[in-house]
Amino acid sequence: MLIMNGPVDDAGHEDPGHPERPDRLRAVVSGVEDLHLGDDLTLVEPYTATRAELTRVHEGSYLDELGAFCYEGGGNIDEDTYATYDSWSLAQYAAGAGLAVVEEMRRHDGAVGFIATRPPGHHALRDRAMGFCLLNNIAVTAAALTGEGERVLILDWDVHHGNGTQSIFWNDPNVLYVSTHQWPLYPGSGGAREIGGPDALGLTVNLPLPAGATGDVVRQALDQVASPVVDQFDPTWVLVSAGYDAHRLDPLAELALSGGDFAALAAMAAGFAPRPGRLAFFLEGGYDLSALRGSVAATLGAVVGSDFRPEEPTTGGLGVDEVHRAQSERGVALRIALGSDPGEDFL
Amino acid sequence: MNQPLRTIAVGFDGSPSAELAVRWSFALARQLDARVVLVHAVGLLQRLEGADAPERFLESVHRLADEVGFDRRRLGWHVTDGDACSVLLRATDEPIGADLLVVGSRGQGVHAGLMLGSTSLQLAERATIPLVIVPAGRDAD
Ligand SMILES: [Zn+2]
Repeated sequence: MLIMNGPVDDAGHEDPGHPERPDRLRAVVSGVEDLHLGDDLTLVEPYTATRAELTRVHEGSYLDELGAFCYEGGGNIDEDTYATYDSWSLAQYAAGAGLAVVEEMRRHDGAVGFIATRPPGHHALRDRAMGFCLLNNIAVTAAALTGEGERVLILDWDVHHGNGTQSIFWNDPNVLYVSTHQWPLYPGSGGAREIGGPDALGLTVNLPLPAGATGDVVRQALDQVASPVVDQFDPTWVLVSAGYDAHRLDPLAELALSGGDFAALAAMAAGFAPRPGRLAFFLEGGYDLSALRGSVAATLGAVVGSDFRPEEPTTGGLGVDEVHRAQSERGVALRIALGSDPGEDFL
Repeated sequence: MNQPLRTIAVGFDGSPSAELAVRWSFALARQLDARVVLVHAVGLLQRLEGADAPERFLESVHRLADEVGFDRRRLGWHVTDGDACSVLLRATDEPIGADLLVVGSRGQGVHAGLMLGSTSLQLAERATIPLVIVPAGRDAD
């Protein structure tokens, strides 16, 4: 069964010509419809995250400022990021959707969650909007879960590094953050040497990949570098920052994945979960509408059971050397942080 | 200040406000015999404008340098992917090694008077080297 947040009218969060636009969500919904799930699809009522739920991951003063800015009509927050009069309430819906979906998942055996909202969230910092993101949606749900004693793996396969999520959980021993992303690329963070704060050493896993990397390379990076960390961390929940801008058709980046690769990645994510019913996907980026539709269907079809046939997975691209380099840089950074290596060969 | 100021890093996004910051930096650099490194952050949306967008910025910077007679050999140009604030904060590191950051008071297309996304205010909070914010002139609006 797929449990998804019910629709809200998001037309008010739009800046003409901006790629983060309402049509994205329509493409996503079409992708879900392509699975013909019938009674196996449950929509939950829209839910607005409360201030208490938001302040687990955001500064209260930032929430006040963002709310006031939208109330006054909004505008450009930085050269990439906009907000409108409606953005504040839509961002609160986006941040609350994961909470409502997780609650509903607990009432069903083995359900998969899908949170299809905008604006996206993984660039949003505690005190700052950036990279099209206003509130960090996945972080709001992850923080609610850790507050209940859960250990949460966040797997972020958006083509951009989720700097906001990484920074929010940098020193949190109950969250493992794993990101595959193109590098160099916005926002510029996400090097393999970024491994987490003193209380969470090793619980940030960054796998930067070059332009042209294919799906097999992304899977190899996860298998080789992230899997052992996931096994050791032993998550009780798996949340995925599912951006689809790593698709080869996406206009904002140059990774070379296909819909079939997202099916394979979704299956890997399911393998990281301790048991069925502990896996939820959060929409992040993805700006080519047909790629978005096909990749969403591929992702969810792989984990809910469906006869949807995605594009073929991709192989043979660049990045194998970078995976090995990330692994060794990470190892050296860990040894230095733990004080067991003077790090001469590293510096 | 004990050490001489050798390298001035200026945030440059092509906006009128950034041009003022560049002019101010050229004037200071000439007095101090310092280098000026223009730092340009490639954001998310700039990817849609094509790969030659930074080159167009470089042309306008060269034009500015020639206009005020600033020696191009003392001028550096650093383009990197990221948001403006993080990229400028890293200008203290190699290869730039800046001793001073200079920015305009308002970025390209950004809402006037907004604290929320203001690169200059965020830098003021986080910079580890001195920062100069060059205000927009009255007639620059
Ligand atoms: Zn993205």
